[in-house]
Amino acid sequence: MGFAEFYFNVDSGYLEGLVRGFKGGILKQADFLNLVQCQTLEDLKLLLQSTDYGSFLANETGPLTVSIIDDKLKQKLLVEFVYLRNHSLQPLTTFLDYITYSYMIDNVILLITGTLRQRPISELLPKCHPLGSFEQMEAVHIAQTPAELYNAILVDTPLASFFQDCISENDLDEVNIEILRNKLYKAYLESFYGFCKDQGGQTEEVMCPILQFEADRRAFIITLNSFGTELSREDRATLYPRCGRLHPDGLTLLSKAEDFEHVRAVAEYHAEYKLLFEGAEKNSNEKTLEDKFFEYEVKLNVMAFNNQFHFGVFHAYMKLKEQECRNIVWIAECIAQRHRTRIDNYIPIL
Amino acid sequence: MGSIFRSEEMCLVQLFVQAEAAYCCVNELGELGLVQFRDLNPGIIAFQRKFVNDVRRCEEMERILRFLEKEITKANIPIIESSENDKTPCPRDVIELEVAFEKLEKELKEINTNQEALKNNCLELTELKFLLQITEDFFEEAESQLSGSELPSEESVAVTGCSRRLSSTSGGGRLKLGFVAGVIQRERFSAFERLLWRLCHGNIVLRHVEINVPAEDCMADEFISKDVFIVFFQGEQFKSKVIKICDGFHATVYPCPGTLHERMEMSVGVNMQIKDLHMILDQTEKHRKNLLLSAAKDVRKWNVKVKKMKAIYFTLNLCNIDITQKCLIAEIWCPVTDLKKVHSTLTKESVRNGSTMPPILNRIATNQTPPTFNKTNTFTVGFQNIVDAYGVGNYREVNPAPYSIITFPFVFAIMFGDCGHGLVMAIMAVGMILYERHHKNIEMNNEILAILCHGRYIILLMGLFSIYTGLIYNDCFSKTFNLFGSAWNVRAMFQPNGPWSNETLQNSSVLQLNPAVRGVFSGKPYPFGIDPIWNIAVNKLTFMNSYKMKMSVILGVFHMLFGVTLSLLNHIYFKELTNIFLEFIPEVIFLTALFGYLVFLIIFKWCVFTVSESEIAPSILVHFINMLMFNYSGPAMTPFYCKQRSIQTFLVLIALLAVPWMLLIKPYLLYSDHQRTKHVVRLCDNSKVSILQSEHTEAEIKGGGDKNHWEEEKFSFGDTFVQQAIHTIEYCLGCVSNTASYLRLWALSLAHAGNYT
Repeated sequence: MGFAEFYFNVDSGYLEGLVRGFKGGILKQADFLNLVQCQTLEDLKLLLQSTDYGSFLANETGPLTVSIIDDKLKQKLLVEFVYLRNHSLQPLTTFLDYITYSYMIDNVILLITGTLRQRPISELLPKCHPLGSFEQMEAVHIAQTPAELYNAILVDTPLASFFQDCISENDLDEVNIEILRNKLYKAYLESFYGFCKDQGGQTEEVMCPILQFEADRRAFIITLNSFGTELSREDRATLYPRCGRLHPDGLTLLSKAEDFEHVRAVAEYHAEYKLLFEGAEKNSNEKTLEDKFFEYEVKLNVMAFNNQFHFGVFHAYMKLKEQECRNIVWIAECIAQRHRTRIDNYIPIL
Repeated sequence: MGSIFRSEEMCLVQLFVQAEAAYCCVNELGELGLVQFRDLNPGIIAFQRKFVNDVRRCEEMERILRFLEKEITKANIPIIESSENDKTPCPRDVIELEVAFEKLEKELKEINTNQEALKNNCLELTELKFLLQITEDFFEEAESQLSGSELPSEESVAVTGCSRRLSSTSGGGRLKLGFVAGVIQRERFSAFERLLWRLCHGNIVLRHVEINVPAEDCMADEFISKDVFIVFFQGEQFKSKVIKICDGFHATVYPCPGTLHERMEMSVGVNMQIKDLHMILDQTEKHRKNLLLSAAKDVRKWNVKVKKMKAIYFTLNLCNIDITQKCLIAEIWCPVTDLKKVHSTLTKESVRNGSTMPPILNRIATNQTPPTFNKTNTFTVGFQNIVDAYGVGNYREVNPAPYSIITFPFVFAIMFGDCGHGLVMAIMAVGMILYERHHKNIEMNNEILAILCHGRYIILLMGLFSIYTGLIYNDCFSKTFNLFGSAWNVRAMFQPNGPWSNETLQNSSVLQLNPAVRGVFSGKPYPFGIDPIWNIAVNKLTFMNSYKMKMSVILGVFHMLFGVTLSLLNHIYFKELTNIFLEFIPEVIFLTALFGYLVFLIIFKWCVFTVSESEIAPSILVHFINMLMFNYSGPAMTPFYCKQRSIQTFLVLIALLAVPWMLLIKPYLLYSDHQRTKHVVRLCDNSKVSILQSEHTEAEIKGGGDKNHWEEEKFSFGDTFVQQAIHTIEYCLGCVSNTASYLRLWALSLAHAGNYT
C-alpha cells in the first residue's frame, strides 16, 4: 500500500475533484452576513437562489417553513453524497459508509427514544437524518431490550459490530439509551479511527486528528453532562472513546472529575483544548463551549482541504456541509420566530 | 460603417422615464436589444430591491408552468412550439395570466390528488384480490392435508398441521392459530422474513408467493413488484409483534376472513369494486387529458411571456427611482450610432402609453471603459462567435472577425483541398441557408443539427474555398482534370533527344522524366493548378509534400505577420507610440528576421536553382538550423548566395536583440513615468493646500469620480514586469510553435488527399 498518493487519482481523482468543487459552493461569511439581514423566509429563499443552492426551493408551494428548508437542505446533501458513494471504489466506499454510520446511530437512538415516549413511528421517521436510513430502521421500535435490538434487528446492519459492548444492558430507559448511544459512538469512533490508521499516508495524517478531536470532545461532553446524574464514575469511564489525545492519562483524570474546574484542569494539559475552555464559563455573552468545539471542528475540517490525495476531504466536506445546514436552519429559525438577538450565533465557515 | 473593423463606439446614457411607462420602455429596449443596463444599486441586497415582489410573482408563475410542463410530458402530450414572437403582457394582463395559471394549477392538482387516491384505492383492491386468490391456495393446501377441519372463529383458523413443519412442532394437537396476510415490496421481503423469524424466535410459519402480473391492473406510474405473504402464529402477543413488524416494513396488511365462504364473498365484492373504480379512473383520466391538451397549446407561449416579464423586472431592479417616485432613472450603455433609434423607440412607446413626459436621454461623460460591442448580422455572427470564443477584445480595439471571414474558411480549405468534396459541402450549406429562410423561428431540437445550422455561412465559405484549393491541387474526388494539356512530354524522353529506348522501357519498372532533357518540359507550366501528369507519377507524394509544406510555412508566416499588423492598427488608434516602438517593431523584427527569412529562402530557392543545378541545391532545413547555431562549416553547406554568412548572423543577432527590447524597456519606462507623476502630484498637493482652499475642495468634488479610479490604478513594478515577461515569452514561443503548427495544414491536406486514393 506504499506510495498510495501515486495511484490515488486512478480510483478517486474524479471524486476528489468533485468534492473540492462542491466545497467551493459552501456559503462564505459574506453570504451569511447577507442571510442574517433577511426579514422573512422568502427573503432567505431569494438569497439562497444566488448561491450554489440555486433553485432548490423553487418548486415549493405554500408558505415556507423552517422544516421544509431543513428537509431540502438535507435532501441536496443526500443527493451529492449518494452520487459520491455510487461512484466510489474500495476502500473509499468503506470510508464513505463509515460517515453514514454516525447518522445511523443517531437515527436508531432517536427511534428508540421516540418509542419510549409513546410517539407513533410515522411521526418519528421524518425526523431521521436521510443519510442514516437503512432497511431495518423502521423496525427498531419493536425492540424492547438492547439484546433484542441487537439480535433481531441490527445484526444485519453494519452497526452490529459496534454493539458488542452494549448487549448486557437489560432495560431501555432514558439513561440506558444515553449510555447505549455513547457506547455505540465509542465503538464507532474507535473502529473508524482504526480504519483510517490502516489506510496510512495522507488519509491517516488528516483523518486521525479530526477523529481524535471528535473522541475527546465526546469525552469532555459526557463528563460535563454526567454531573448531577446517577451515572457512576466507573460507568462513565467506560463511555470514553479511547482514540483521542486524552487517552490514556487524560481519560483517567476525566473519570475522576467532580466539577467543571476539574475538567478544565484536564484540558489545561493540551494546548488546543486549553484555548477552547478559556472564558467558556464566565458569562453568557461569550460563546458556549459547544460552539467553540464546533468552531474548532470547522477549522480542522477546512484544514483537511490543504492536502491532496486523501479521503479526509470527503469527511470534511460532509461535516462542513452539515455545519452549513445547521447555520442556515439556525438563521431561518431566528427569522421565523422573530428572535433576532441571537441570530449571529452561527458558526462561520472559513 | 467604419465600425465593421472595430467594436462599436459606445456612450453612457442616463435615461429618465416616467415611472408608469418604465415597464413598457424597458420592454421595447429589450426587443431592440441594443443597450446594456448598468447596475445602479450594487450595494443593495437582492431582496431589498424595488421590484423584488414582481420578480417573485414571475417565479411563482414559472413554477406553475414547470409543473404544467412536467405533467404534460408525463402524459405524453406533444407541446406545441410557438413560432411567432410573443408579446410581453402589460402589467394589467399579468394579473389575468396569474389567475388563469393558478386556476389551472388548482384544477390539475385537484384532479391529481383525486386520481392518486383512486389509484391507491384501486391498487389496494387489486392487491387484495391477489391476496385472496393466493391465500386460497394456502388454505386449500392446508385443508387437503387436514380432513377433519374445524370451522374457524373470527380471525383465527384452527389448523392442525397446516404445514409439515408445524405439525411436527405442534405434535398433532389442536391449536388456535392466528394469521396475518398482507402484501410487501419484493426487495424488502428477505429482510422482513429474517426479522420476523428472529423476533418471534421461530414460532411462526411464513408463506409467500410473488405477484407476477404486471402493472395492467394496478395503474401506478411504475410497477413495483410485490409479494403476497401470510404469517401463521400463535397467541395475541405474537400478533401485535407481527403487525408492528409489518408496519415497519411498509407491508400492507389486509383483513382476510377465515372461512372459505366469506373469502369468496369478499373476492366477488372486490372484483365489483375494482370494475367501478376503473370506470371512474377512466373518466378522470379523460378529463385530465383534456385539461392538459388545452394547456399544451399555450404553455410555450406563456413561458416566453413570463420569461420576458421576469427579465424586465430584473432590469428594472438595476435602475433607480427618484425621490418623487415619478421617474425612473437608468444608466445604459448604447452604441453612439444607435442612439437616435433608441430615442425614437422610447418616444414612440411613451406616446403610445400616453405619458405626459417624453423620455429623456442624457449622454454623460465617464472615464469607465465601455463594454465591447460588435455589430453582427446573420452572415458575420458565426465568425464573430468563433473569434469571441478565443476572447473578446477591449473597447474600440480592432475586431478580427471580418478578416477571419476569409482566413478561417481559407485555412480550412487548404487542408480540405478537394473541389468535389468542397462542392458537396457548399451545396449542403446552400441547402441549410434556404431551409433557414423558410423556417426562421423553428427551434432546432437536434443539438448537432443546430450547431451546423448556426455555422451555415462558415460552411458555405469553407465549401467555396475548398473548390478553389481543390482546383489548385487539381484534385476532385482524388481524380484530376486535364483541361489545358500537360506541360510534360513523355515522348521527348526517347531517342534521339533523350536517353530512353524500347529496351529501357521493357527493362525497368519505374522510369523518371527528366526535365533537363530538351522537350520533356515544354517551358510553359500548366496554367492553373498542379499539372495533371503528377497524378500518375510515383513520386507524386514527394513532390506534393515539398510543395504543400513550403506553402504552409509561407502562408503561416504571412498570416502571423498580418495579425501583428492588426496590433499596429490598435496602437495607432489609441495613440500609443511607446507600444509601437517597444512592442510592434521588435515583434516584427523577431518574426521577419527568423521566419520571414525562412520564407525568403524558400522563394529564393524556387527562383534561382534551375533543373541543371537541382542536384546540388542546398537544403533549406539544414541551412536554417545551422543559421540559428552559427554553424557554417560542414560538408552540406554550399551557400545559397555570397555574403550569406554575415547576413544570417546579423539577422539572428537582431532577432535575439528584439527579445530584451520587448521585455525590459517598457516596464522600465512605465516605472519611471510613475515615479515622476507621483512626485509631481505630491508637489501640487502641497502648494494647493497652502494657496487656495476653495480651489482644492472644488478640485476634490470634480475629481470625486476620478479618485477611485486613481486608487485602482496602483502601480506595481513587479506585476508590470511579470506581465511584460509573459507577453514576450508568449510571443516568441508563439512564433516558433505557430510556425510548426501551420505545418499541420500540410499534414491534414495530405491526410485528406491520402484518404481517398
